[in-house]
Amino acid sequence: MIRLALRRDHVPGVRGFAGAVAGPLLAVGIVTALAAVVYADETMTEVVLLFGINAIMVVGFQVFVGNTGLVSFGHVAFMAIGAYAAGIASIPLIDKELFLPDLPGFLADVELGVVPALLVGGTAAALLALVTGVALMRLNGAAASIATLGLLVITVNVLSQASSITKGPRSLFGVPDHANFFWVFTWLAVAVLISATFKWSRAGLRARANRDDSIAAESAGIPSLAARLLPFVLSAFLTGIGGGLYAMLLTAFSPASFAIPLVVIVLTMAIVGGINSITGALAGAAVVTVVNELLRRVENGVDVFGLHLKTATGMSAAVLGIALILMLRWRPEGLLSAFELQLETRADRSQQAAQSPVVEEAG
Amino acid sequence: MTDVVQHVVDALSVGSTYALLALGLTLVFSVMRLINFAYGMMLVWAGYAAIVLLDAGVPFLLMVPLCVAFATVLSMVIGRLAFRPFIGAPAITLLITSFAVLLVIQYVAIVVFGERPRILRLPSVFADVVEIAGIRVPVLELITIGTAAVMVAIFYAILNRTAFGAQIRAAAEQPDVTRLMGVKPDRVLMVVFAISGAIAGVVGLLWFAKVGAITPRSDLDPTISAFIALVLGGLGSTRGALIGGLALGALEVGMAATLPDGALGYQPAIVFAAVIAILILRPGGLGGSVAEPAR
Repeated sequence: MIRLALRRDHVPGVRGFAGAVAGPLLAVGIVTALAAVVYADETMTEVVLLFGINAIMVVGFQVFVGNTGLVSFGHVAFMAIGAYAAGIASIPLIDKELFLPDLPGFLADVELGVVPALLVGGTAAALLALVTGVALMRLNGAAASIATLGLLVITVNVLSQASSITKGPRSLFGVPDHANFFWVFTWLAVAVLISATFKWSRAGLRARANRDDSIAAESAGIPSLAARLLPFVLSAFLTGIGGGLYAMLLTAFSPASFAIPLVVIVLTMAIVGGINSITGALAGAAVVTVVNELLRRVENGVDVFGLHLKTATGMSAAVLGIALILMLRWRPEGLLSAFELQLETRADRSQQAAQSPVVEEAG
Repeated sequence: MTDVVQHVVDALSVGSTYALLALGLTLVFSVMRLINFAYGMMLVWAGYAAIVLLDAGVPFLLMVPLCVAFATVLSMVIGRLAFRPFIGAPAITLLITSFAVLLVIQYVAIVVFGERPRILRLPSVFADVVEIAGIRVPVLELITIGTAAVMVAIFYAILNRTAFGAQIRAAAEQPDVTRLMGVKPDRVLMVVFAISGAIAGVVGLLWFAKVGAITPRSDLDPTISAFIALVLGGLGSTRGALIGGLALGALEVGMAATLPDGALGYQPAIVFAAVIAILILRPGGLGGSVAEPAR
């Protein structure tokens, strides 16, 4: 009999690994089912799609932050690169001549479908991560965070200057609106599958060993740079795909679309759900989306007992801020801490009692 | 030749504001490992206070100390309410907390002052340009450099010549031993936030005197510049903050003077790339650091 469990580690062996990967996928299934119910309401379609894309972004973010313990403010840069790369790759040729006449030859002649365009977006972001990561991943703690913020500044600066490719600070139009329910939630499942496989792989374990005690890990033959670089690149790839979908949802966007408010949303979702858990990333994305949506309605004005309440715009950010502080104060490890939803059989559980776990995740 | 002197003055003026900002940040960092994302917002609030006071008819010379006092108190209140509960938490938690604090005090600024830019009107002296030995120097730049020099002198006097300073340095190096010696960590923290706030008040006035207009989102530029200066110099060292600030000023002015027109738009990117390159060569920063030793 198969049953659900919340665990920090997974049962040893191939079956345990399969259960550990299947658990978060089941969580995606639950989230997708809930989203589908809400999606039936036509006024909510954009909110649901945005939720799915944010969830991809948070899952991607979690791959890096959860496994390495470094906080990145630069993931929005990967999102921006993914959005521009996927966007430019998928704009129809006719529109391209019209909107982007100065595009270099090889870019001017391509018009890709959804999947190849998103893969281009993810790959572009992963390449940026690989090139910059060789440098950034040498830094520790707060210096690393600030340097990743620098990556965001550089990326937005370059995107708004390279006018022939990106139309500079002006909006890029004409990206086809491929971001429908099917593609968003399919990619969410793919993102979770990749990130769970990585988490329980040897490379994931090495990254977390480096996170928990880098000196001990190095003395055991795990170089810090390599241990951090792989999750950084993988996380950028997933975030780039999220960015590509974001571009296909907005269809028109500018470098200013990728700024601090997006950092706030992704960071809050990840912290609320629990930065060390993939299941937590999904839970955090869901909770923050619901809260945000309620706040947005208050911002637009609500009627309570005949009183019309209305607040200044930006309140959702302030409430998220207070929620973050309270969360960090009283439950800094987030809703799910390092726990993951997992599938296991009864036999696994009794076997578990007999021997100690092999793969363990520190809370 | 005069060109070069001109650029040096520019670099000193820009660099000294960065150095002051980095000092304000590094002091708090050395005591509680907090990198304060909300620091730029303190400048914005000091700027708004100046506008409100000037509009109310308060004379300029009275407005300055009032603004600095306001920023000092604000910094202490935020330090007490938002940051004190997190003493001893991991640096990352503190960083994110300060990020959250930024969101909240930014929202309050939006509610109170609105999104539209407000103009800071200063006496016309500030817009004047004086000529010294053939070099034309804006008065504001001279005031900035002079103020920064005085502030740094006061800062060092407090840190090295007073009991408070000794307590702060002790708490930064050996928090536990310092407590055993009967120094209350709370009081050290409040003094540190007060100094950091006073610096933010002064720099806020200088900064927005130069920029001219304030919006609730004007905090990003000073915060990011201060961060770069901080990391460039080396986290947690006062000497590093000064070196980092001045180096960043020199880098920015030097770039603006030497880059070809086509590359000028990429200046922020080039500056940041240079900073990251320096960090890779010297992970402890230009000034060396106690907090994050090179490895």
